Amino acid sequence: MNICINTPEGTRDRLFSECLERRKVQSALIELFRRRGCTEVITPDVEFYDLFVQSGNPIPQEAMLKIIDRSGRIMVMRPDCTAPIARVAAIKLKHLPLPQRLYYEQTVFRDSLAHEGGSREIAQCGVEMIGAVGEKADLEMVAMAVDALRSCGLEQFHIELGHAGFYRALAGQMNIPADGQERLRAAIEGKNFALLNDLLEPYREANAYSALRRLPYLFGGVEVLDEAERLAGPCGSLDYLRGIYAELSAAGYGDWIRFDLGLVHQLDYYTGLVFRGYAQGAGAPVLSGGRYDNLMEQFGRKAEATGFAVDVDAVGACLSVEPQKLETIIHYGPGQLARALAEADKLPAGSCELSPCRTLDSTLNLAREKGAAWVLVIGDSEVRELAV
Amino acid sequence: MRERLRIALTKGRLQDKSVELFEAIGLDCSPVRSPGRRLIHGLPNYPLDVVLAKASDVITYVEHGVCDLGVVGKDTILEKGGAFYEVLDLGFGRCRFALAVKRGSDFYGTYKTRRVASKYPNVTRAFFESKGMDVDIIKIEGSVELAPVLELADGIVDIVETGATLRENGLEPIEDVAQVSARLIVNTASMKLYKSKIADFLARVERELGGEA
Repeated sequence: MNICINTPEGTRDRLFSECLERRKVQSALIELFRRRGCTEVITPDVEFYDLFVQSGNPIPQEAMLKIIDRSGRIMVMRPDCTAPIARVAAIKLKHLPLPQRLYYEQTVFRDSLAHEGGSREIAQCGVEMIGAVGEKADLEMVAMAVDALRSCGLEQFHIELGHAGFYRALAGQMNIPADGQERLRAAIEGKNFALLNDLLEPYREANAYSALRRLPYLFGGVEVLDEAERLAGPCGSLDYLRGIYAELSAAGYGDWIRFDLGLVHQLDYYTGLVFRGYAQGAGAPVLSGGRYDNLMEQFGRKAEATGFAVDVDAVGACLSVEPQKLETIIHYGPGQLARALAEADKLPAGSCELSPCRTLDSTLNLAREKGAAWVLVIGDSEVRELAV
Repeated sequence: MRERLRIALTKGRLQDKSVELFEAIGLDCSPVRSPGRRLIHGLPNYPLDVVLAKASDVITYVEHGVCDLGVVGKDTILEKGGAFYEVLDLGFGRCRFALAVKRGSDFYGTYKTRRVASKYPNVTRAFFESKGMDVDIIKIEGSVELAPVLELADGIVDIVETGATLRENGLEPIEDVAQVSARLIVNTASMKLYKSKIADFLARVERELGGEA
């Protein structure tokens, strides 16, 4: 029989320090989430395709890994954690009082193009706050996003805030045909200044023209809010962001906060404050989230909601976790198992292991082969440490 | 904090034009002009390191964030796609994608499914999808003009500059698919993390481009 030795493209085996990195990030996040009153939910890895279509979150059909079940229904490997959790909160948690803070540690699956080096399995750890609206809920989320990256051990990072309402208000003032709207949005999201200029050229006379044209540049510190106001005039979403920033600064979070008013991804999905986290050493956002007040209604329970997810392995890759080196092998005689285990449990995890050998000579050979510096010999009456 | 930005240039004509542009904004590009065997060329008077790569690799490097910036043709962007900021049209490397057929043949005048050869199957697919047409697309790696000559295909979608190669082979462009020129692209995270450095570079380039126009 031929043994299949490769893993499918976009999947991989993770060994040793990669696992340590992932676990370190996960345990830091989970500890934080629990401290902040979040409780865990685990949803199935496989769900009905319809769930994600119903959710209105525009994950392209071709990006979902599909399976056909025995009755012929289409199922997908979970491409997103939020829709299943909204489903649970709308249906299973119907009788619990809101708000509910739910966290998850799950893998999402996305089919990416061949040979792009992208992973089809993305370990996410995130939180959803369901049934809370307003500044305090958003503040709690953004503060938790900062604390999340900080608790993982990242030093150089920031959380960038935007607001879906700002672009909506500007675009709403222009009389742009439906197909042009999506091109305009994409040009702003992609900071495609050239295309944006071309698209806006026919609207030179419109009030929102100069603000929209400048939108891709409106990212950076809090000063971009002032510039935006000069261009667009007073605007509710700018005031909202300014209020959020004042509160966050007062709480000591100001240093980590940036703004990007050109954050216009998934506009059909996000309804208010949106945010992303960028870390030194990662080429893509490591955290992503925002307010999605219309999702729960799709599952039959009207409730506002906000949340974010951390890309666990992207954060892990920015950390350097040194695996513990094996230092000691414990050789023990007959009847000494309990003492051997007690000695092993005293040493740092990963720095020692028991010898399965009968003779001390074979244990010494094993120690040499594995690069351990010491053999701890536990006999009837004595404990000796031998240098290898 | 990384001290220097890194840019990937598409080897060949776009590289020469990029170097001309960078020199015009006062960057000393002598290390790129005499590359030797080195793969990364640090510019002596500006915090920028230059690497040279094939067009589609430029996108790969920028998307993964190992290069902060890249210069690549719109043709490659259209074909390969990807997540990055496409911030400037550099204006050089201008040409167009066109649909070309054998001179005198009536490409649209039949209900038969047409067969189109191209080095750019994704661009070709998107073009005909936008027209609501089903076509068979054949990917050709080398001289695409050969496909209609050998009657493998009814037409081709390819980059056209002067049209001389088409004419010599009895083909003629009948429709523009897209305009193409060199673009400056930026990694999404780099844009945020190194904002002031990238803004300085973009401002210099923009000022120079604006001066030309």
